[in-house]
Amino acid sequence: MKTTKKGQPYLALLTFILILGSFTVSAQEIDLLLKGGHVIDPKNKINTKMDVAIAGGKIVKVAVNIPANTAKKTVDVSGLYITPGIIDMHAHVFQGNDLGSYIADGQTAVPADAFTFRAGVTTVVDAGSSGWRNFRLFKEQNIDRSQTRILALLNITGNGMYGRFEEQDKTDFNPEMTSYMITKLYPKIIVGIKAAHYWGDFTQVDRAVEAGKLAKVPVMVDFGEHQPTNSIKSLFLEHLRPGDIFTHTFAYGPKDRETVVDDEGIVKPFIFDAQKKGILFDVGHGGGAFFWRQAVPAIKQGFKPDVISTDLHSDSMNGGMKDMANVMSKFLNIGLTLEEVIEKSTASPARVINRPDLGNLSIGSEADVAVFSLKKGDFGFTDVRRNTLKGTQKLDAELTIRAGKIVWDLNGVSGPLWDSPQALTR
Amino acid sequence: MNIQHTSNKSMSSISLSLVLIMTVLFSPFVSSAQEIDLLLKGGHVIDAKNKINGKMDVAVKDGKVFRVAADIPTSSAKKTVNVSGLYVTPGLLDIHGHVFHGTDNNYLSNSLDALPPDGFTFRAGVTTVVDAGGAGWKNIDLFRKNIVEHSKTRVLAFMNIVGGGMRGTEAYEQDETDMDAKLTSAMALKNKDIVVGIKLAHYIGHDWEPTDKAVEAGKIASIPVMVDFGKALPPLPLEDLLLKHLRPGDILTHAYRYDQEYDKNGKMLEHKQAIVDVKTKKVKPFVWEARKKGLIFDVGHGGGSFNWSQAVPAMEQGFQPDVLSSDLHTGSMNAGFKDMANLASKFLVLGMPLADVIAASTWNPAKVIQRTELGNLSVGSDADIAVFRLREGDFGYIDASGMALRGKQKLEAELTLRSGRVVWDLNALSAPLAK
Repeated sequence: MKTTKKGQPYLALLTFILILGSFTVSAQEIDLLLKGGHVIDPKNKINTKMDVAIAGGKIVKVAVNIPANTAKKTVDVSGLYITPGIIDMHAHVFQGNDLGSYIADGQTAVPADAFTFRAGVTTVVDAGSSGWRNFRLFKEQNIDRSQTRILALLNITGNGMYGRFEEQDKTDFNPEMTSYMITKLYPKIIVGIKAAHYWGDFTQVDRAVEAGKLAKVPVMVDFGEHQPTNSIKSLFLEHLRPGDIFTHTFAYGPKDRETVVDDEGIVKPFIFDAQKKGILFDVGHGGGAFFWRQAVPAIKQGFKPDVISTDLHSDSMNGGMKDMANVMSKFLNIGLTLEEVIEKSTASPARVINRPDLGNLSIGSEADVAVFSLKKGDFGFTDVRRNTLKGTQKLDAELTIRAGKIVWDLNGVSGPLWDSPQALTR
Repeated sequence: MNIQHTSNKSMSSISLSLVLIMTVLFSPFVSSAQEIDLLLKGGHVIDAKNKINGKMDVAVKDGKVFRVAADIPTSSAKKTVNVSGLYVTPGLLDIHGHVFHGTDNNYLSNSLDALPPDGFTFRAGVTTVVDAGGAGWKNIDLFRKNIVEHSKTRVLAFMNIVGGGMRGTEAYEQDETDMDAKLTSAMALKNKDIVVGIKLAHYIGHDWEPTDKAVEAGKIASIPVMVDFGKALPPLPLEDLLLKHLRPGDILTHAYRYDQEYDKNGKMLEHKQAIVDVKTKKVKPFVWEARKKGLIFDVGHGGGSFNWSQAVPAMEQGFQPDVLSSDLHTGSMNAGFKDMANLASKFLVLGMPLADVIAASTWNPAKVIQRTELGNLSVGSDADIAVFRLREGDFGYIDASGMALRGKQKLEAELTLRSGRVVWDLNALSAPLAK
């Protein structure tokens, strides 16, 4: 603001107005008001009808009956669910054109914005596509250019997910460089370490945990390609720490990955112990890691994942996974409550990655908000082997807001009608 | 079909021939056990080329459409999918996408603003996408290597008259020294299998040179030209473009665009591209004349090129688009456009009959790009097929300026087949039940 001598009386007046404004509800202090929806904000223990007000890109008020005349713009979301913007803790968004690569700077990774907002997601955590050698490229090329908030787990392999062959190189598992990259360079973006696709013993996991200890961040393990299988009991009880993450929880490939549910359909007892100890179980659906034969009995027996996530990449996007809203819908249809599904897609992943600022609608937090409709009807959901489960409920992302800005509006609920007076002024 | 087992050494050659003839004669009438790989049963087929708009079954074998008929017995198929209550159409053909994705800091040429096609096509019933000018003659080879050969979607291209392609509107695409009709047409002919037209876009100079060069390239290569009419100031007359410079079969894209532009005094200019006169709300007479002459009007919705204020009066006056297309890129994917099924729904809601909407997304564009093997369900054609559900309810649609229109209908892609393979299955119609 210019402050010339001439302007000082106005400044005084302005200050007066500002002080006055802080006591009364001045006209239109709210930029965007979501009115009439049902708020589910598990962190703040809200699960009831409330309005949500946004100003300056932040949540400014969550309350019953916020008057519409206090807002510049009001969107009627009655009949819909308002939740914190969804966090997808397991995605692959280091999209690039290195045709020799699998996921790191490769075509199997996808552009984040193309899959997030339309499913209510506002934050993704890239799960180890990059390692310390190519994280900078990932940041410059993808993270800095996306509207979606992209965080990352850094692969313990320096080159990230370049290819299965390269990912076997023990000499490229470097805990020091991996932890330095986190603590010295990017502590705000890199939220953990990833170990994946290794064919050998526990070396990769142990190095990842070593890096995790140095950087004080969790480790996520994809433990799926050991022949013969390595014991997950040993992984949970002897190698991982409380707060570390086991992903692809409901995968079924007994030749190279020990399953959570045994051949008789019973959840192995040590799984419950591991969860009690603090091992976190992540869905990571993907193109090959979600089976009804594992998930359905597990939920029935009371073993629930801690975090729901996609493992988004080009081999999962058109299969059983589709998008985060579809994966969330699957869990609704096998017995989780809507509140549980939202919690495991917002507050829970935020806690797991030590980002308590995310995944909630607390006053002052960045206004990342999702609005869902819960459709009733006859739906079908496939697992990664295209076996079907019939369901009656499906979540559709109606409106997604990122830092206060509407970034997705499925049914045009936020737009004025084209032939209305409001439209003509624009 | 295997008929070898009918041969017998003891048979005379005459009786063998007879058996063969009988077999061939009768094969259309009998269905041997499970010769069909996939049978879509009970749906309503809309196939404009073959003038089908009714309940029929569609049989797929060896990646091709094998038969389209009423009541094909399920016993003749290895796998049957019940699509009753749904619409079965040729896979949609989107002639205006931007899929030359890459990591350069360009606009829509080997850049992050262009999108990998497979994430947007199949989930909307699209099986073929034509990139609209991302590549020019200098980088069509890279486009082939990076995109065409790495996509499950069938990818074709309009080649930009600018040699370097759509690298940026401010400078690269204004460089007339990089517009060469001979080199462009030569590379188009060399890449005939993927290049179906020439694109001119974003030119803001006040002359017709680039247009005429694009048309010249189109003439040499015998392919159409698509024009995104730039923002020249003072404006070049659209009437001249359509009636004097383009040929019948050439394409005006962004047909329902309306850009508000103002002169120095803040007075609103009548945008040269608007096909509907802003004051009278009438489709301009020369637009009708151009249509009569054979010019093609393409939607090219995009992030900024579809306005209710143009589309509603145009549709009310009977000016339907010839072709529905996306102008897919990062700037349109999450806005009013979303995907081709959403765009098709918009035109349904504007009163365009479903059969016309499908024709304008399948057979019409196939004819426009002279790829008549596409966009139809003729027997023997590649089995690129979409199955849509027409939902009834309260829906809303936004245009490029964020304005809404309410509607009661919405198309949703339930099942998409590409060369006979299921590549999208929204509600698991084609999958067995678990357990």
